[in-house]
Amino acid sequence: MTITDPLATSADTWSDHSADPPVVDPRLRPPDEASVGERVASWRMRHHLRREEADRVYAASRNPERGWPVAGDRAVLDFFRDLIGRRRRMFVVLIALNALAAGAGLVVPRLLGTLVDRTVQGDGAGLDSLAWLVVAVVAAQAVLTFFAQRTSTLFGQDLLASAREYIVRVILRLPVGQVESASTGDLVTRVTRDVGTMSRSVQFGVPMAIISILTVSLSVVAMLANSVLLAVPSLMIIATSAYAVRGYLRRAPRGYITEGSTYSRINTTLTETVEGARTVEALGLSGRRVRQGDDDIEVSAQAERYTMSLRNLLFTVIDVAFNTPRVATLAFGAWGYAQGWLTLGQITSAVLYVEALSGPLDRLVGELDRLQVGATSTARLLGIAEVPPDREPTDARPDGPALVGRDLRFAYREGHDVLHGIDVDLRTGERLAVVGPSGSGKSTLGRLLSGINRPRTGSATVGGVELVDLPLELLRTEVALVTQEHHVFIGSVRDNIVLAREDSPDEAVRAALAAVGSLDWVERLPQGLDTRIGSGQHVLTPAQAQQIALARLIIADPHTLVLDEATSLIDPRTARSLEGSMNALLEGRTVVAIAHRLHTAHDADRIAVVIDGRIVELGSHHELVDREDGEYAALWRAWTS
Amino acid sequence: MRDFPPSVTTFWSPEGERAGSPPDTRSPFRFLLWMLRFQGGLVAVGTAFGVLWQLPLIAGPWVFGRSIDAGIVGDDPSAVAVGAVVLLLLTLVGAAFGIALHTLVVRTWLISLYGTTKMVTRKAAQMGHVLPRRSPTGEILSVASSDSDEFGAMTEIIARAGSQVVSFLAVAAIVMWTSPVMGATVLLAAPVLVGVALPFLRPLHRRQELERNRNSELTSMATDIVAGLRILRGIGGERTFGRNYATQSRSAREAGVSAGIWQAVIEALGVLFSGVFLVLLLWLGTHEVLAGRLTIGELVSFLGYGLYLIGPIRTFFEFAQKITRAMVSARKAIAIFESAPPWSDREEPLRLDPSAALSDGLTGFTARPGQLTVVVSAAPEESARLADRLGRYLPADTEPVSEEPEHGLKGRAARRAQSERARRRAEIAARDAERTRGPWGASLGTVDLADAALADVRRTVLVSDTGSQLFAGTLQDAIDPHRRLTRAQAEEALRTANAEDVYDAMPGGWQGVLDERGRGLSGGQRQRVVLARALAADAPVLVLVEPTSAVDAHTEARIAERVAELRRGRTTIVCTVSPLWLHHADHVVLLADDEVVTEGRHHDLLGGDPAYRAVVARTIEGELQA
Repeated sequence: MTITDPLATSADTWSDHSADPPVVDPRLRPPDEASVGERVASWRMRHHLRREEADRVYAASRNPERGWPVAGDRAVLDFFRDLIGRRRRMFVVLIALNALAAGAGLVVPRLLGTLVDRTVQGDGAGLDSLAWLVVAVVAAQAVLTFFAQRTSTLFGQDLLASAREYIVRVILRLPVGQVESASTGDLVTRVTRDVGTMSRSVQFGVPMAIISILTVSLSVVAMLANSVLLAVPSLMIIATSAYAVRGYLRRAPRGYITEGSTYSRINTTLTETVEGARTVEALGLSGRRVRQGDDDIEVSAQAERYTMSLRNLLFTVIDVAFNTPRVATLAFGAWGYAQGWLTLGQITSAVLYVEALSGPLDRLVGELDRLQVGATSTARLLGIAEVPPDREPTDARPDGPALVGRDLRFAYREGHDVLHGIDVDLRTGERLAVVGPSGSGKSTLGRLLSGINRPRTGSATVGGVELVDLPLELLRTEVALVTQEHHVFIGSVRDNIVLAREDSPDEAVRAALAAVGSLDWVERLPQGLDTRIGSGQHVLTPAQAQQIALARLIIADPHTLVLDEATSLIDPRTARSLEGSMNALLEGRTVVAIAHRLHTAHDADRIAVVIDGRIVELGSHHELVDREDGEYAALWRAWTS
Repeated sequence: MRDFPPSVTTFWSPEGERAGSPPDTRSPFRFLLWMLRFQGGLVAVGTAFGVLWQLPLIAGPWVFGRSIDAGIVGDDPSAVAVGAVVLLLLTLVGAAFGIALHTLVVRTWLISLYGTTKMVTRKAAQMGHVLPRRSPTGEILSVASSDSDEFGAMTEIIARAGSQVVSFLAVAAIVMWTSPVMGATVLLAAPVLVGVALPFLRPLHRRQELERNRNSELTSMATDIVAGLRILRGIGGERTFGRNYATQSRSAREAGVSAGIWQAVIEALGVLFSGVFLVLLLWLGTHEVLAGRLTIGELVSFLGYGLYLIGPIRTFFEFAQKITRAMVSARKAIAIFESAPPWSDREEPLRLDPSAALSDGLTGFTARPGQLTVVVSAAPEESARLADRLGRYLPADTEPVSEEPEHGLKGRAARRAQSERARRRAEIAARDAERTRGPWGASLGTVDLADAALADVRRTVLVSDTGSQLFAGTLQDAIDPHRRLTRAQAEEALRTANAEDVYDAMPGGWQGVLDERGRGLSGGQRQRVVLARALAADAPVLVLVEPTSAVDAHTEARIAERVAELRRGRTTIVCTVSPLWLHHADHVVLLADDEVVTEGRHHDLLGGDPAYRAVVARTIEGELQA
């Protein structure tokens, strides 16, 4: 075997920073002195460059290099169609009520027009009763609005609740192997920011867009019914904005997504600066951090300029397109009145309709915009569901606790095996310590022996059955990987302990707590087992948190434990006081201890020294120490001398 | 005119440049005024643009009414034409200023937002490790990420409300001049309309707050599930926590529905009141027309004004709301910005001599120049305290004071809680000042660290503590943040810390990207990269606190040997109890109860000193008997 220098490529990848691109393309800075024509040309180029950047960011967000996958547009559409489809009745009621409310609202201008006509006729007959009629219509409109809004709220909230509960269910089904290796940062962003964005569009966006479309179409009908002569020119003027609106809707969401990503960059940088304040100070990095923060803001400002320009372009068109119909109504109204085709009342109604139309139109553009941004977040959330499961449980059941690994090989990257054919037989009840340098594959071995990952070749079996063929619920009661990760969940003490056997009775929970020596303090808690602990609730000491973690394993009661020390930083202050609790857990079980402290290894029945993916030495402490040129012996000498 | 992003020189400036004047932190109100001045007149210009933007709404109905009277009823096509042209012009003017106003509002908003963020960054740079001692990091960050937005919203609402005051007065003048009776009705009814909705707003806000709280709890639960996902998928508990989330999700939905229903009530009332108002206006108008006191065109224009006036009144309520929120945010910003560094350099600071011995007066510890000294202590926090003193750091021993207002406190109780918080902050600042007054207690040669410039201390003594953090960026920047190493030096640092595997694991080698805080690396990998960075900094005096606690014995042995070799001839202090390090130490110091108990060579002490043996050998042989 040849040992290649891991830094062999160093010369190729080292950068002298001379080729680093500037933070912001210099072409994005406006010229200092230029004629009006040059200025416009230069602005167009800047706008174009910013659009390219937005397209790039959007494309990257749809096809991330790292992290979890992102779903396609089709999946998002299907998801929403399915959500709405399952609430068909509610959806129909929503449409009906909103149509009625909008319809009632559109009768009012018509009646007000009639009121004007009656006034012009000058006799004042029936004016009061007409006014009362309008009041009645307005009252009906108010009542309908209330019920329509109420239905939208119920509909939106219901949609939202199922969507977010679905996402969490999906997360809780993610393959064990991937969860163990992937970074959780990306998932955290998705369950916070993306769920937030999706919420807004599901809760308000979907119902609002539906309502706006209804109102706009009914308004058009009402306008035509009032007077075709007055409606057609107005509608044509409004229609001229369609091109600009379409352009905006096509581009804006990407702009907003880009903007959002620049803000999360600003936050990430600042978070690091503040949380790492001492490191920044120690290494004299303040200047760099300030500059980096300023650079992030420069980039963000470019994204803001892009969306600002997009909005300005849109506003130019719609401000004119939505306001000139008033002029058209006046001009055509005068003409039609002179010809005797129109009454003053019809002109008044037409003006009121035109005024009333711009609100829902504006809202529709805004909602469609937000819906698209929400759709990208939804795509990121649904992407989580596209991770394929990593195991298909079979019906085979183990016929004993014997854990055996044969010819185990495994690669995280294709062609780069970290284990090169390891054979290991665990003796029931023994303690096997695995030692070796970091990167030697000892943690990987632990993951194969606990059924987290499927070996590339060979087999890891318990009682004759492949570990990865067991249903998870069963696997957990056979063998458990303990990473010393003592996360305390938000929930009751009981919730925090019964994980592996969720229907455990309180006696079992108490017994587990007693075994690790924490029943006393738990019973002194304000609500005992029902006390809520975890972030933002009752605070536990680090030692208590570790005891909780150990009690979970007592409940799981696996016959074999794989302890991986290297994956976590054990707090040396609590390690000592926890020895008793730890011993209670290990009592009577087979233990594979992946150790980086030699004293852990010393106590073991057997010690396996893993180097470069192979077991090079295996034997008891005394056997290994006695080997003159042995790896373990050398280490032990360094440790004790 | 000012543009975004603003340049900020407050609190911190590169060496050799003067820092700008700090914001006014005497009161929230003064702070907000300062923020407005920071805009450099943009808000005033925005107000003027706002008036012009509303011109079509102010003058439009009047022109329309005139055109009906003179043109349509009076059958004068030229009057209609003039009216149409004027209306068209008004529309164009409105559209043009609408865009100008939008541009200005975006500017003021972003100047506030980016400006606040930049100030927070500079405050963190200025205060260093002292800032998190005084305020919770979460609150420091939220000043930049959310309070800054409130300041932006404030500039926008001031410009908008300002312009609407002007246009309201203009409309008032027009309607009063046209018809005193109708004018008075319009002017009185508009505020009444908005006023009736007020009693309903309070319950709505209460429900919205409940909804927000439940939603944020729901988000915490989701984050919690993800943070503990390894355990949930490894050990179990998916059903329990999935159910807990679903329960909370339903209770958030209930709160949302209840808030939504109140919202529906308010919307319905809005429809009712504004509809009735229009009818009333028109009914009154028709009687005025019939009585000959009003023309039909004037009646139509009153309809327009009636619709318009609801806008400004709403804006005034919005104004009150947003200013209140900006005041709350200002209070939080002040809590961060008013905090000042506890130390300042002497007028003529003494120069540090890196080749002198580093000693601590409290413990009697001395690190011999040019040697590798290992500090051993039964309690790790004791050696960490020593490292803090040797590097002139204040220990992390304070409870940072939150400025988040407590729920349910109102009036006098809230004010009392607030002044209590201010008092506690002042207390910490006073304690820091007390500590930094006079000699520091640790000295390099004969110079007490307090007599040297802080920058000089940081350059000379590098303390890499257990909280050392990695930053997002390339691996190359992680090892060489100052960009002044040669490749050979960087490689040497990486090899010495035995972190070659990190390089190997990175796609792109030196250009491979680390996630924020080095997330994605294992604990051991992170620790070795941090060590490589500290070694690469090549400080004259290097203090390493537990540099290999997450590293296996094989690797630790290699690192200890290589570090001893690399640092030969320069003062190095390592706090650890690992024999693998002690083996390479030139000098070993045992610390107990903040005092040097014994010192010498590892071998001699192990053989001859029972106290030393008790601490060091505990890790080796304590287990042998167990």
